Amino acid sequence: MPFVPKKQAYNAKINEVVLGVGEKATAIGGQNVLPFHTFDAEIKNAPKIGVELTDFGMEEYTMPGEQAFYAGCESVVDMAKRAETMEGASFICLHFEGADPNGANKSVEECVKLAKDVSDATTMPLVIMGCKNVEKDTELFNKIAEALAGKNILVLSARDENYKTVGASAGLAYNQKVGAESAVDINLAKQLNTVMTQLGVSGQNIVMNIGSAAVGYGYEYVASTLDRIKDAALKQSDAMLQMPIMTPVSSDTWGVKEAIMPEADMPEWGNQEERGVEMEIATAAAVLAGGSDAVIMRHPAAIKAIAAMINALM
Amino acid sequence: MAVKGLDIFKLSPKKNCKECGSPTCMAFCMKVAQGALPITKCPYMSDEAIALLSEATAPPMKTIEAAGHKMGGETVMFRHEKTLVSRNLFAVPLCTCMDDAKADAALEAVKAVDYERIGEREYVEFVLVHDAGDADKLAALCKKVAETGRGVIIDTENVEAAKKAVEAVKDTKPILNGATKDNYADMSAVATAAGVVLGVKAANLSELHDTVEALEKAGNKNLVLDVTGATIKETFANAVLVRRAALKDNDRTFGYPSIVNLAKLTDDVHLATALAAVFTVKYGSVIVMPEMRYAEALPLYGLRQNIYTDPQKPMKVAPGIYPINGAGPDDPCALTVDFALTYFLVSGELERSKVPVNLLITDASGMSVLTAWAAGKFSSSTVKKFFDEFDVAGKINNRTLIIPGKVAVMKGEIQDKLPDWNVVVGTREAVELVKYLKDGEYKAAAEAVAASKKPAEEKKEAADVNAPLDFEKIAASIPAIKIRDDLDAHYKQRDPESPKFVTIGERIHCISPVIREAMATFNPDPILERAAQQIKAGATYLDVNIGPAESNGPELMTWAVKLLQENFNNVPLALDTANKRAIEAGIKVYNRTNGKPIVNSADAGSRIDNINLAAANDAIVIALCSADGIAKDNEERMMHCHHMLERGLSLGMEATDLWFDPLFLVVKGMQDKQMDVLNAIKLFSDEGLKSTGGLSNNSNGAPKAVRPIMDSALVAMAMMQGLTSAIVNPNDLRLMETIKSCDIFKNNELYSDSYLDV
Repeated sequence: MPFVPKKQAYNAKINEVVLGVGEKATAIGGQNVLPFHTFDAEIKNAPKIGVELTDFGMEEYTMPGEQAFYAGCESVVDMAKRAETMEGASFICLHFEGADPNGANKSVEECVKLAKDVSDATTMPLVIMGCKNVEKDTELFNKIAEALAGKNILVLSARDENYKTVGASAGLAYNQKVGAESAVDINLAKQLNTVMTQLGVSGQNIVMNIGSAAVGYGYEYVASTLDRIKDAALKQSDAMLQMPIMTPVSSDTWGVKEAIMPEADMPEWGNQEERGVEMEIATAAAVLAGGSDAVIMRHPAAIKAIAAMINALM
Repeated sequence: MAVKGLDIFKLSPKKNCKECGSPTCMAFCMKVAQGALPITKCPYMSDEAIALLSEATAPPMKTIEAAGHKMGGETVMFRHEKTLVSRNLFAVPLCTCMDDAKADAALEAVKAVDYERIGEREYVEFVLVHDAGDADKLAALCKKVAETGRGVIIDTENVEAAKKAVEAVKDTKPILNGATKDNYADMSAVATAAGVVLGVKAANLSELHDTVEALEKAGNKNLVLDVTGATIKETFANAVLVRRAALKDNDRTFGYPSIVNLAKLTDDVHLATALAAVFTVKYGSVIVMPEMRYAEALPLYGLRQNIYTDPQKPMKVAPGIYPINGAGPDDPCALTVDFALTYFLVSGELERSKVPVNLLITDASGMSVLTAWAAGKFSSSTVKKFFDEFDVAGKINNRTLIIPGKVAVMKGEIQDKLPDWNVVVGTREAVELVKYLKDGEYKAAAEAVAASKKPAEEKKEAADVNAPLDFEKIAASIPAIKIRDDLDAHYKQRDPESPKFVTIGERIHCISPVIREAMATFNPDPILERAAQQIKAGATYLDVNIGPAESNGPELMTWAVKLLQENFNNVPLALDTANKRAIEAGIKVYNRTNGKPIVNSADAGSRIDNINLAAANDAIVIALCSADGIAKDNEERMMHCHHMLERGLSLGMEATDLWFDPLFLVVKGMQDKQMDVLNAIKLFSDEGLKSTGGLSNNSNGAPKAVRPIMDSALVAMAMMQGLTSAIVNPNDLRLMETIKSCDIFKNNELYSDSYLDV
């Protein structure tokens, strides 16, 4: 009997969300099939990669490959301009680690200025990641959303504790895209999307950050949450889970033992940079295979590999 | 589709002759359904039944074994649907086109990656030896690979070369990856003669399907499918479509494991890592990488371990002493449990602190700290056992032992069992550890403990844990029973034979700080007040959870039983503790007027002995239908159920004195398993068995206002299925009213307008 594969395209689809403005605007989502299942139906938008830049600038980029790529950059703005040239990158993610009141505690004004400067100097869409301190992030997101009005940025992300303020300012007042962040739990993800839409933020303006983990570190929860969200969104047509997903990868992977242990301490493991790069690649590939529509990454070699993978699979 | 045990049972002779080795036909059929026994073990099964069943019980995807590794055998597309069973394997390629030096170097690189992670050996399981047209060299290379202990994949389409290579390594059970539409008959003959797995290749899926069909027709079903296509994109499509056809469309022809040869598609190791991650998540059984260094192995094996974890079974790390930050014998010890997430959290924070600490991981069945403590899996005894087993005192000189803040209550007991150590209470959360260790608070605390020890205290004679209990001594040692007449709660006389639903009030539980404190100090008031509240709300039984109570379990339980029964007209009780002697002592003073005591609880695993305890004391026992983790499905639940039922009956118990608990699951997280639980209750009920369970677990984590609604709906559905009892919070008015109403509809209670007040 000849083998005739059954197509498995769904009636429901993931929302298409456009980030940024102008030529470099980029769209994520829009598909009605599982990740990379191009044999079931055409996938309109390939998954996208964003380059993570922390506000600490070069001091945080110590790996030789990073140093080489950003050579000569003197500011985060310089780095952002360079990042736009990175092979496979579609957007820039400014990560305001320095805003943390328990850390460098940079002022909101300083952060807003940096966001503005980067935005003025670049054309790629901008994603703004906070410092995980709810109060500071709320203020930060509000002010940056205001300063970059009209730029169609994404603030990553509103959480259960501050979605009302962040949703009202970034989502409603300044018409930016709003991230909805939950901690690797499908029920919490749905809940946050539900209350955010009840607030008036259009489902078409929401991008989910469902949480993540480096592979080997509880990643099974991430894998199953992704599988279940895609299942609910496509098979059960659950509109409250049809938002595209963006997953920050590098912030997790560059913190685990495999990436931070110097070669001197662990000679048999070999080159530290290679370990960090492979950790970032494997995690990004896994979340994309699971259903992320965009990943935020950091190392040029890792981004290049994931871009090649996406190209090959689309 | 797998056949259910009960369907097989319908076709069985039902004579319980025991000739198959199982005690009953039902037990035999359950095992057949699990795949644990072949149907042919029954001498009385009819030929028609056997034919019908062997076809129907054949799994949708075969489990194939090569070089000692299992592949395939999957039943679901996604791990959350049940579990994935055979973790994918990794391989790297060699080629006859390589010169000796290059081949040797590649083999050395393979051998270099070999380590352990969370109890599993991680290494390159297979080496694929590609034939570039040199039969002798192929055989020689295969032999060389086999000598390293790695499995061999002989990659050739040349039948003569295959013969030679197979001959050279057939004892190591290699995979012969070489059948095509043109050579399959001859290749199959080579593989079958040597008893090795045959890999099948084709230009496209249609050709692959035809070739497999032809091979199966010729009688060879020991196959793997090389789904590698001309491009990466085609390869991914092949892997998905083959697996989907087998599992969802029941196409048995594609029900075999897959080989994905990435080395053929790219020599860029970074791209290969990305793809290997994709195929680990989606449907590669053997993944051939161009190379495998630690840089690739660490993330890929970590990912594989995560993906192939059974979602119903916690991931555990091996118990032992883990030196962190270069800790040695002179550094302090910190104690925690073997739940993998706990381990990663705690070890991560310890590493961040940069303070050298010996992390002690004890065997707690993969439970988190508080859960393990409440279940008696993390107690002063288990800690003591761990210290003895791993000779901690012999290996570590420092005597500071930091215990998790959440189990501060164990401090005294651990200190008693490990008198030479200075036990200090650490933080409640892992994230607080960095500050805690850096501040060095623990040092002062340890010194204070050391200073407070009385120098020449006479060693207390260790109590013999197996000595018979001295009930008189226990009775004499407990405080006088306080009678409170101001509580206005009167337990009404009850007919133990009543068909009415039995509610077991759960509010006297030592996981509650108030109750824990009351039990630690034998303070009757908080316990009596909670009991009164539950009785007023209409609870039938009261559960009394005293925790592990290792030092004074018998005394504590004796006191609690007398306290409650003497205050409340012999209210019937469920005795809830991991301490068997405490239960025995409690039953000794228990008054049965309103119902037998309940032993809470036994399971089909390590706690099965509690059935003996119940049998010896003419008690009811709550029998959890699980052994190690939550049952995967109702086949497994029923297997546990029958296992425990058999045990109880063989000990002379009435079947109705075993109350089976299907284990209610939380909706947040296990929504798709709720109907399984409800159907299990029906299965119990159909066999005339009683059931119970912690029903409100379903709504754990849901908003307070929603929980009573969910619990009430579930109890109504469960009572419809035949649930006879539940462990509940009786203060939930909505739930209690629902139960009373259901009792009316089930005709367990005669209706009157005031039935809610009765």
